[in-house]
Amino acid sequence: MTARGTPSRFLQSVLQNGVGRYVCQLKRISLVFSKKGQGSLGVRDFIEEGVVDFAKNNPGTVVYISPQSCRIPKIVAEYLNGNVKEETVTNKTSQEIADLITKLSNQSGLDIIRIRKPFHTDSPSIQGQWHPFTNRPPSIDPVGPQAK
Amino acid sequence: MAACRALVSRAVLPLHYHHVCRGVMLTHVREKKRWMKAYTLIMERKRKMEGPPPPKPRSQQPNFDYHAEVEAFGARLQESFSLELLKTAFVNTCYLRSEEERRRALGLDLETTALNLKDNGKLCVHGQKFTKGFLSEWCRGSFPSLPEEGVAAIVGHLTGSEVMCHVARNLAVEDLTMSAEFPVPDEILKETFFAVIGALEESSGPVRAGLFIRDFLLTQLIGTDLFDMWKVVDPMGLLVKELTRKGIALPEPRLIRSAGASTVLPLYFVGLYSDRKLLAQGPGETVLAAEEEAARVALRKLYGFTENRRPWDFTAHREQLQKPSTQALTSG
Repeated sequence: MTARGTPSRFLQSVLQNGVGRYVCQLKRISLVFSKKGQGSLGVRDFIEEGVVDFAKNNPGTVVYISPQSCRIPKIVAEYLNGNVKEETVTNKTSQEIADLITKLSNQSGLDIIRIRKPFHTDSPSIQGQWHPFTNRPPSIDPVGPQAK
Repeated sequence: MAACRALVSRAVLPLHYHHVCRGVMLTHVREKKRWMKAYTLIMERKRKMEGPPPPKPRSQQPNFDYHAEVEAFGARLQESFSLELLKTAFVNTCYLRSEEERRRALGLDLETTALNLKDNGKLCVHGQKFTKGFLSEWCRGSFPSLPEEGVAAIVGHLTGSEVMCHVARNLAVEDLTMSAEFPVPDEILKETFFAVIGALEESSGPVRAGLFIRDFLLTQLIGTDLFDMWKVVDPMGLLVKELTRKGIALPEPRLIRSAGASTVLPLYFVGLYSDRKLLAQGPGETVLAAEEEAARVALRKLYGFTENRRPWDFTAHREQLQKPSTQALTSG
């Protein structure tokens, strides 16, 4: 749809992350899969090979493995700012799931919507924001074109 | 449909038929279920009448292991907490009281099922004192000309409910807090966060706790304005006091520019001159408002809290672990 029809936000970070120390924003990741279904084959392979390494490399993220009887395997990622993101991983390979999990752990939890400007600053002007009275000699007379 | 139900006897129960209760049986059939629409509409009406279900704490939703979460909390913040102290920091008095009430109501004998949890009162007081002391010291070091009320106002803003709860919620402290009510009230969340800081100070020492406060509370000062945090009613009086203390001549306000005096949105610029030199100028809709704004701009310049000030240094991290001198923690 158009830019006005879809939501948008400004470029921001959660709690000025990175200014002080970098905190990984992913707090919990749950792998919901089925023990026998063929759509969960990739998830089962990933759990055999890659999930323990992922958990060791990200000690700040809690990994939950929950086998349930479900038709579609899901990955539920919860972030520090409260957002919950669910991705279905039916019929994905183990490598694709590993890449997806890396992508989720690198995201902050902010919504993936249009970012209005690709920059943000808290001190937009060093010498002072220009306004029509800058560099004009002070006078109380009515404002008009300056004589050069 | 009714004919099918009549044919089924209690002894023989074919596949897909099951008793919901003594008088009702659910038959799974393939045909169009004519009762489905009425049932769905009744459930929708019931849901609309009752409204959304009350929020449940994360610990009561599936997939939550308290010990793992507490360990991950410490690892995420790159701090090594003593797990006992940290778990104590999350337990609030209201939770202990409500648990004991619940056990008493269930009729459990209090001696056999005693709650051996300590609450976070002491840690909270300790953390609060440490935080306020650290923040005041940092403010005095970064803004040497800021008076005591200004320092107190900034520290009060940073340790107030709004900022503390915002930081605590975005650090997942609310998930781990044990309190009587959910959603956790702001006061309780603030106390829990103070207790966490107290636990950190007792586990890893004042230097690491100071770095923690700097990285999470002082970063909330970025982009804020001094007079949003410090309510000054008479900026001109305060400016006069500051200048007499320094021995500089008193400020004289002069109208520098005016535009649109007879319109709905007039603009006046008033400049404050001390000893014929311009201190600061400020805009306003009336001459009095412009004079007040000019006084505020002058105060911001005096205290060094302008918008174009040098940013604070948050990078000094590893070196501080070897040199625990508070001088190094403040910026110039």
